[in-house]
Amino acid sequence: MKPLHIALIIIAGLGVAAVVSLYGNTTKYVSFSEAVELSQNNYSKPVHVVCQLNKSKPINYQPEVDPNHLEFWAQDSLGNESRIIYLQPKPQDLERTEKIVLTGRHKGDYFHAEAILSKCPSKYEDAPVKQHPSEIPRT
Amino acid sequence: MDILLKVSSIPADTITFKNEWLWLGNLGQSFIILTFLCALASMFFYYKHEKTGEVSYRKAARTSYYLHTFGVFAIFSTLFAIIFFHRYEFYYAWRHSSNSLPVYYMISCFWEGQEGSFLLWIFWNSIIGLILMRYAKKWESPVMALLAFGQVALSSMLLGLEFQGVKIGSSPFELLRTARPDFLNIPILGSLGIENYLSIFNDGNGLNKLLQNYWMVIHPPTLFLGFALAIVPFAYSIAALSRKDDRSWLHPALIWSLACVGILGTGIIMGGFWAYESLSFGGYWAWDPVENASLLPWLIMTSAAHMVLISKNTGRHMFTSHLLVQLSFWLVLYATFLTRSGILGEASVHSFTDLGLSGQLLLFLLVFIGLSASISFKEGKSRTLFNRVIVGIFLTAIALSFVVPTDYYASFQSGLKWFGVAAFFTVLGAFIWNLFQSQKTKMEDEKLSSREFWMFLGSMFIILSLVQIFTATSIPVFNKIFGFRTAVPVARDYNAIQLWMAMPIMLLMALGQYFSYRNSNWKIWATDFGITGITSLIVTALLNLNFQIEGMHFLLFLFLAVWLALGNIAYVWRIKKLGFLGWGASISHFGFGVLLVGVLVSSVNQKVLSETQQGIQLAPEQDEKGNVDLKGMQFNRENRILYKNDPIIMGEYNVRYDKFVQGIHYDSLDKFFFVDFTNEEGESFTLVPKTQNNPKMGLLAEPSTKHYIHKDVFTHINYESGMDKKEPFSGFKTDTVRIGNTLTTNSGKCKLTPITVEKASTEKGLMLRLVLFAERLNETDTLFPQILINEQTGNLESIADQNDRLGVFASLLSFNIEDPDPAKQKISFVIQSGEKEPVRDYIVLKVVEFPWINLVWAGTIIMVFGFVFAISNRILIQRKTLA
Repeated sequence: MKPLHIALIIIAGLGVAAVVSLYGNTTKYVSFSEAVELSQNNYSKPVHVVCQLNKSKPINYQPEVDPNHLEFWAQDSLGNESRIIYLQPKPQDLERTEKIVLTGRHKGDYFHAEAILSKCPSKYEDAPVKQHPSEIPRT
Repeated sequence: MDILLKVSSIPADTITFKNEWLWLGNLGQSFIILTFLCALASMFFYYKHEKTGEVSYRKAARTSYYLHTFGVFAIFSTLFAIIFFHRYEFYYAWRHSSNSLPVYYMISCFWEGQEGSFLLWIFWNSIIGLILMRYAKKWESPVMALLAFGQVALSSMLLGLEFQGVKIGSSPFELLRTARPDFLNIPILGSLGIENYLSIFNDGNGLNKLLQNYWMVIHPPTLFLGFALAIVPFAYSIAALSRKDDRSWLHPALIWSLACVGILGTGIIMGGFWAYESLSFGGYWAWDPVENASLLPWLIMTSAAHMVLISKNTGRHMFTSHLLVQLSFWLVLYATFLTRSGILGEASVHSFTDLGLSGQLLLFLLVFIGLSASISFKEGKSRTLFNRVIVGIFLTAIALSFVVPTDYYASFQSGLKWFGVAAFFTVLGAFIWNLFQSQKTKMEDEKLSSREFWMFLGSMFIILSLVQIFTATSIPVFNKIFGFRTAVPVARDYNAIQLWMAMPIMLLMALGQYFSYRNSNWKIWATDFGITGITSLIVTALLNLNFQIEGMHFLLFLFLAVWLALGNIAYVWRIKKLGFLGWGASISHFGFGVLLVGVLVSSVNQKVLSETQQGIQLAPEQDEKGNVDLKGMQFNRENRILYKNDPIIMGEYNVRYDKFVQGIHYDSLDKFFFVDFTNEEGESFTLVPKTQNNPKMGLLAEPSTKHYIHKDVFTHINYESGMDKKEPFSGFKTDTVRIGNTLTTNSGKCKLTPITVEKASTEKGLMLRLVLFAERLNETDTLFPQILINEQTGNLESIADQNDRLGVFASLLSFNIEDPDPAKQKISFVIQSGEKEPVRDYIVLKVVEFPWINLVWAGTIIMVFGFVFAISNRILIQRKTLA
């Protein structure tokens, strides 16, 4: 065994470890009902839900009361609906979004979104999304 | 309905459309075909010259390449002309520009659309080709043949042909009415005549607001130049393998890969700087898949450049050099595939329009991987066999897809997918095995005290870091292939791992140069190790008196970054007689160290000054151990509401929202919010974050930052009172008053007093403007209701004014002149007033302090200088050896 080979084996091992830990830490795209199930099973990682804003229900954002509190309702592709709480100001043009990807956890009777990624259509075509996802805070 | 039916029943080719400059598009389209064919010809002739050595072939190749380059410039100019002259009959101009777009941003239209960015890439490649043709000397034909092959692939992306529903390329000269045939069906055209559609489509969709920024004029071209440069080392490597050349390819490959690393790196950081200056997320790097896609080629090219350097100086690790150089180009193609195919859709904030070319992009990636694999066969016979098998399988698969009946198509496709995955790994395996076999050397082992050993190790650690980013960024691809539902990791996950991944690289960068090639004296090395190490430890401790970083892992990172910077700057002392051009490596490593210190301090110690604990409390929760989890209640409260003229304390600053000013930008309504910051030492500054209301893109916000040497104060408007839904006014009543008399609104809460009246003559007639003093409790303001005596119609037109802060509305309905003598001011005014609950002006503001972020930019600039020195030095050395 040459020193070089030993070093290479160590690096390769680290590489495998990095990939395994990456996959161990990744989360899934789920529906709201799955998010509820996961929260009941004490699944502590955030999950991703692809959903649509329910435009018939009110979007509640009152900066005078709390500039960091937004509530709205969203529906996933299976039709499950959930109340969403997002502790950030209202993303611009939330009303106009067609599809949103929420990252967060289900808690109690609402889904706590830590990040919102929204895709807005422009007049004729899909225009780039303006809102950079607020980075998930360091905890 | 009748009209609609009539319109859609007319076949488009029987109509002569008016005012179209079709000739311009046809011209552009013929330039595209010229460019494509000339690249093909140039590739063929260069290949023939390489095989036969006949000079006439090279002459033909060069001529075709010159024609090709002419074609590229001509396409570029034609596309620019279409945008410049607002020819909206062309989809590209309509989609990406507008009448009001200033000329200096028109160039940015090139990189908003995919066709334009491929064109930019082709443009850079064609210039690189001209340089290679002049300077590559004995390598000209094989390297140029490969570059021309790359140009064939890229320019085929612009062809815009369609066969049996399969799209080959997407032309920037496609017509609006063919790209969007639905536009011809809009009802208004029925009465106007469909041939006059351009009189409706007389303005374009406009350029993405975010691209209208000077950084966005220079960042994409720089990045694309970096991407384009990656083909050159790849071409040298392939050429060397096919010529069975040993080492002479390494020197030019080193120069070109250094250029690639330097320019790509600059482009990436420019993008970061742009994001920091004009996006709202507050930072320069978010580990977004699109950012990663540009980082991957940079990392591997950095690693490859170091391997090439080792091979050039010692003759070792030829296998790794070839492998990494070729992987670099694959990764550039892979990055293009990722960002242009729409596969990242849900994973990224950037949005992607899939032009239906993902198949073609994937094909290029596979063709180039196949090419590498094919060249790796040493013997001509086995190479030919391999090529035939691969091409045979590919053609069979395509042929089969036409034959398979629709009922079995789904299972055929999934079968094909698995077969494809298996074939891909077989080819990859064959490539690596062959390359390894062909590059085996019988040299004795390198010594532990040799520079090449540690440099090799460093390069491998870079690959290690790359593996994690590659895997994470490719998750959407794996999801697609294997049907997973895995989500892409968030920034936190990357940071947690990359922090550790960077450490061995930093250590090796700090110490690597102190080893000599082949063998060094351990004693001398140990002294250097000791001195630089202890100095760095002391410097780290001193720096941290200011930085105040906590956490052992961050401190370790800081120490290593300082060591990296100091070790390299100290090494310059040792090699000072080489002259500054010889210091390139040390200087760019030093710059990288400075950059890393900046990255660490500005991210670990960034302070959200607007952080607050106030607000609606969410119910506390219990985690699995029964502990109360306060996280959900505390975190993320990063914005404060600031009422106008009502200052609050944020960090060391007293922050006051002073006023906003509205301005009409050429295609949007901009609001500039003036926010004053004052600290206890009396130091003060004003920041002006702004929001833009763009009719096409909706609301955008642009941050404003105060730059100090040691920190930045970054502000960003997340919401403002103007975005609220307005309550309507009510309680309207009408009064007649004279100047100086006061009227009260319905509830009596607000008083209005006319102060004076101003006259102005306008095109339409006389305009009277009443200066109306408004008062509510202690708040006062002035309203300006106006009335126009329209001479054309003889009517009175009133223009009302309102003030949301006082909750009052006033409209001047009419006036009576009671005495014609103006000096007596005997005019009475009929004023309608209305009221509502007052709304105070406010902004929701995020304020973040980034300490020492300037080190990131300074480190980058130093790095660029290092690269310039290193590249110049290598070019000089090459000249000398050739002379």
